[in-house]
Amino acid sequence: MKISVEDVRYIAKLAKLSITFEEAQKMVGEFEGILTYFESIDRLDLSDALPDPPDRNEGTVLRKDEISVFEDKEKLFLNAKSMRDSYIRVPKIIE
Amino acid sequence: MNIHELTALEIQRGITEKQFSAIDVVTAFFERIYEKEPLIDGFLTLCREEALVKARQIDEKIKAEEPVGKLAGVPVAIKDNICTDGIRTTCASRMLQDFIPPYDATVVKKLKEADAVIIGKTNMDEFAMGSSTENSAFKKTKNPWDRERVPGGSSGGSGAVVSAGMAALALGSDTGGSIRQPAAFCGVVGLKPTYGLVSRFGLIAFGSSLDQAGPMTNNIKDSTLALEAIQGEDKRDSTSVRHPITEDYMSTIEKGVKGMKIGVPAEFFDFGLDEEIAFSIKACMQKFKEMGAVAEDISLPITKEGLSAYYIISSAEASSNLGRFDGLRYGYRTENFNGLNQLTEKSRSEGFGEEVKRRIMLGTFVLSSGYYDAYYNRAQKLRARIREQFIKAFESYDILLSPASPVLPFKIGEKAGNPLEMYLSDIYTVNINLAGLPALSMPCGMSRDGLPVGLQIIGPHFGEDRIFRAAYALEQELKLAAMRPKL
Repeated sequence: MKISVEDVRYIAKLAKLSITFEEAQKMVGEFEGILTYFESIDRLDLSDALPDPPDRNEGTVLRKDEISVFEDKEKLFLNAKSMRDSYIRVPKIIE
Repeated sequence: MNIHELTALEIQRGITEKQFSAIDVVTAFFERIYEKEPLIDGFLTLCREEALVKARQIDEKIKAEEPVGKLAGVPVAIKDNICTDGIRTTCASRMLQDFIPPYDATVVKKLKEADAVIIGKTNMDEFAMGSSTENSAFKKTKNPWDRERVPGGSSGGSGAVVSAGMAALALGSDTGGSIRQPAAFCGVVGLKPTYGLVSRFGLIAFGSSLDQAGPMTNNIKDSTLALEAIQGEDKRDSTSVRHPITEDYMSTIEKGVKGMKIGVPAEFFDFGLDEEIAFSIKACMQKFKEMGAVAEDISLPITKEGLSAYYIISSAEASSNLGRFDGLRYGYRTENFNGLNQLTEKSRSEGFGEEVKRRIMLGTFVLSSGYYDAYYNRAQKLRARIREQFIKAFESYDILLSPASPVLPFKIGEKAGNPLEMYLSDIYTVNINLAGLPALSMPCGMSRDGLPVGLQIIGPHFGEDRIFRAAYALEQELKLAAMRPKL
């Protein structure tokens, strides 16, 4: 399958990745190779096949949404970039 | 006696029978690590202090004649995509280089309950994407049998440290072969359990419908012991097994293979399979016959196409799973940015490595409007077809045999520039994940150049007991379990 640098840059935008023109150019060749290989599926007749059911034969499992207290809050805050008192400080997210 | 050469089972027995203490074991393994790790680069984090604390607790229990777990004092290494409470868990990615989980994965919790001793976290391909461990953001792990070669991947660090005697047991994860292929490359035993048998809670997600954690060990009985410890239902994983399972594999493991029906898919001997590997697999088939099994060629026509379905589905799931890394909540954040969009794009672009970005983009592409039916939907249909094909084969056969990898361990850098060629090395393993089956890779011979060859034994859903029986019989016959690389 043929794809263009513009296609690759569009996909990168959807995936929230920024790539340079050079990176996109390199990816065009790689993606064409991989997508051409993927076309091997087209040789099979799958017209009567159903997509794999995600829940197989046991059905979807549900449980009650119950609140429980996580005792060691310090541990949770360890991965926050910035704190003020017991609040996690994040960058401005409203534009 | 060198403690680091003992099996997990021998270590557990030695400690409970007071031949040596858990502290002796931890000390011996860390001596080995300090000596050999500079040659192998298998670990990303070592936790000596925590290990000594745990060992002391076990020794106190033994002294007080209290019962201990079935992995008492066994030094275990954990792949770095499995969360460990208070211990850095990076997925070998810049994205998570400072991430310290506030909880244990269920498999880690279960190991601790069995009194195993966590000694460190192992190197891997970033986010488990790769077949050589070269995609780690931090270091390149070397194959203990030939340090110019890769250990396989993505659980290459786990395979290498077990092979090199730096851990008695390791956990890996397997989405498309990431336990079995490095086990084959490093000459160890690697088991991918049936999907759902082992909880995925705390295993950082790559392809959620394919991922399973499993043990990497130096022999079959250790694999059995480890699976017994980590398996079972988990309320925190809605895909974990909810029906009764085999609790005890050890009691049936010595039953032998007399009368067992073994299928060997003829198609698996195409795809440019290395001649020496083909020879070793055929020899195993012969051995099984000599031990009283019935081994026959069978046909599994959909194999090559399965690789396409695997890369489509796993990349699609990865693009969704890795969407959570946004630079905002936890993980890597870029220094300078202007607005939310740039924050996310720059953080992701700087935090993820090349292969991870490639998979995210492939996944985004196959799910995008206009391509969804042609790729993702067709791949899901093919997945159902592959599953049916295997279920049908298991109506006539107890287990199936195949190579674990089409090639012997390759040189570091040899395939790094060609992603498709790297993907092709997963041809024998990916279909097993698509079908959700269990499979084990074990050493079954050595090449002329002294590199290990891996055999894959595939079982029906929840048929781990049969796999262990066949694998143990072959291991006794081949006497390869005791072989260790010279370091």
